[in-house]
Amino acid sequence: MNSPDNKKSILVLKDISLSFKGVKAITDISFNVYEGEICSVIGPNGAGKSSMLNVINGVYIPQEGTISFDGKEFTKMKPHSAAVMGIGRTFQNIALFSGMSVLDNIMSGRNLMMKANFWEHALNIGRAEKEELEHRQAVEEIIEFLGLQSIRKTPVASLAYGLQKRVELGRALAAKPKMLLLDEPMAGMTMEEKLDMSCFIQEINRNYGTTIVLIEHDMGVVMDISDHVVVLDYGKKIGDGAPDEVMNNQDVIDAYLGVSH
Amino acid sequence: MFYREAGKLVGSFGKDRRMLPLLEDRWLAVLFVAFMYFVVTAIASDYMFTAILIPIMVLGVATLGLNIAVGYTGQLSLGTAGFMCFGAFSAFNLILRIDWMTIPLAFFLSGMIAGGVGIIFGLPSLRIKGFYLIVSTLAAQFFAEWVFNAYPWFLNYTSSGVVSLPMHHYRVFPGQENTPFNAAFWYSSQGRYLVTLTVTILLVLACKNLVRSNTGRNWMAVRDMDIAAKVIGIPVAKTKLMAFFISTFYCGVAGAMYCYCYIGNLDFMIFNLRRSFLVMFMVIVGGLGSILGSFLGAIFVYAWPILITRGSDFIFGGGAIDTAFIENNSKIVVGTIIIVLLIREPGGFAALWSSSKQKLRVWPFAQ
Repeated sequence: MNSPDNKKSILVLKDISLSFKGVKAITDISFNVYEGEICSVIGPNGAGKSSMLNVINGVYIPQEGTISFDGKEFTKMKPHSAAVMGIGRTFQNIALFSGMSVLDNIMSGRNLMMKANFWEHALNIGRAEKEELEHRQAVEEIIEFLGLQSIRKTPVASLAYGLQKRVELGRALAAKPKMLLLDEPMAGMTMEEKLDMSCFIQEINRNYGTTIVLIEHDMGVVMDISDHVVVLDYGKKIGDGAPDEVMNNQDVIDAYLGVSH
Repeated sequence: MFYREAGKLVGSFGKDRRMLPLLEDRWLAVLFVAFMYFVVTAIASDYMFTAILIPIMVLGVATLGLNIAVGYTGQLSLGTAGFMCFGAFSAFNLILRIDWMTIPLAFFLSGMIAGGVGIIFGLPSLRIKGFYLIVSTLAAQFFAEWVFNAYPWFLNYTSSGVVSLPMHHYRVFPGQENTPFNAAFWYSSQGRYLVTLTVTILLVLACKNLVRSNTGRNWMAVRDMDIAAKVIGIPVAKTKLMAFFISTFYCGVAGAMYCYCYIGNLDFMIFNLRRSFLVMFMVIVGGLGSILGSFLGAIFVYAWPILITRGSDFIFGGGAIDTAFIENNSKIVVGTIIIVLLIREPGGFAALWSSSKQKLRVWPFAQ
């Protein structure tokens, strides 16, 4: 559909079907995500949006279909190899490491880049100290970008919801992902926090060139920041294209957007 | 209280990740270690060494080991005494069968052997969690009791099932076994105290280094949210097995020290399930996921009965209080404290310590 020739697909989903003991969550969905874009996945509750993200980074294994990321094709993805290939992820219900500080949470996002083994860690020799300081530098840049300086040593469990969402974004960002999957990054936020968050998302997209796939219910935000919108309903794809194209799609209006009164 | 963080700024990330960021804390730590090495060694009595200081440090190391698995990685285990048993028997056989073996090397290697056993018994943790994992770690406990009973080779065919470890036969330093210095060093309770103290300090430093490194963050990530850990690329299985290895390494060294530095004989009966529970209580009372707490827990659970005995002897004269009463009393008190802590302060003594420090910081101006 909307595939301008100059854009390269970073993620291609082909005929994905996922069911849980006969309950079909996703039926035959195919769509592409192009490199460097912000792609929103929208749809009513239970449409299979979160399941879709879980399929992309290997938390769920689809019964049918193939996923190809960055030119490599898979029938099933594993969470670990997804992380290695550069797929970052935040969760709808915050999945931070609640016993750790903000700094440690974001530092843990860089674990794949740390090569020292536990002997080096135990004795604090060799690569251990050097790596720790190098990555601290990179993490501090993320902390500064997200404005978390004043709470870097605070345990995340004691933070407000909006800040926790921001820390989770920071943790995903710390891995320098090629593609970032954001599951309702703005749910339950105040207007101000939403504004901040959408600025962060756009800046990440622009400055680091990170492709972003996000699930969001706030249509204002979605239509504003997305380059590309995919609409799901009852596990099926009912719309796919540029925001204004999707907005005028009759199926989408019937299933999800409704008519403005 | 007397000093606080305000105004103490650090100029580099290296300084920021020091074990003790405050200068005063570092001085206190140095003074404490110096006190333990020089003052305590010079003035403490034999009773103090053999009945209080050595066992507390040994049990503290075992508690720290269990805390790595339970408190830092969230993998419940009740095999502690079994792993200590593996450590003790490894040390015994290494020293018995290898001529040039020294005590410190034997402790290290017995930790490694126990660690290997720990990896095997940690394998079920890849598939099961929580209470079910407790049941499978119990297997380590019963396996240890069985294997060292069934194969007398491990006990060098001693018919009584107990080997005494004569204090003057071991060398702490390389060289001739019977040099006067080597023999005298190990024979004196000061010598054994110094060995225990050194091993304990090294293990505490290593643990502190681990928990502020990537390894420690991975442990805590697996503990707090294993799905998220997997999604950000933490190898969950490897992390769990590594935690089991290091946890049982500590337990193994503690087991070897228990026999060699503390009780002076080797007997698989002392490493029974009751001792596993005792170490578990020390972890709970002291504080999950805290190095300081491991030792506070060990001190409290171990020293409380002694405190009551000594206290009553002091007040009412020797033997005024029945020993059975004291034993039961300490059980009641420890049990009550566990219940109260679980309700009021799940973080144990370590959390009490840090929250009281927090309160003293602003005292008397705020609540």
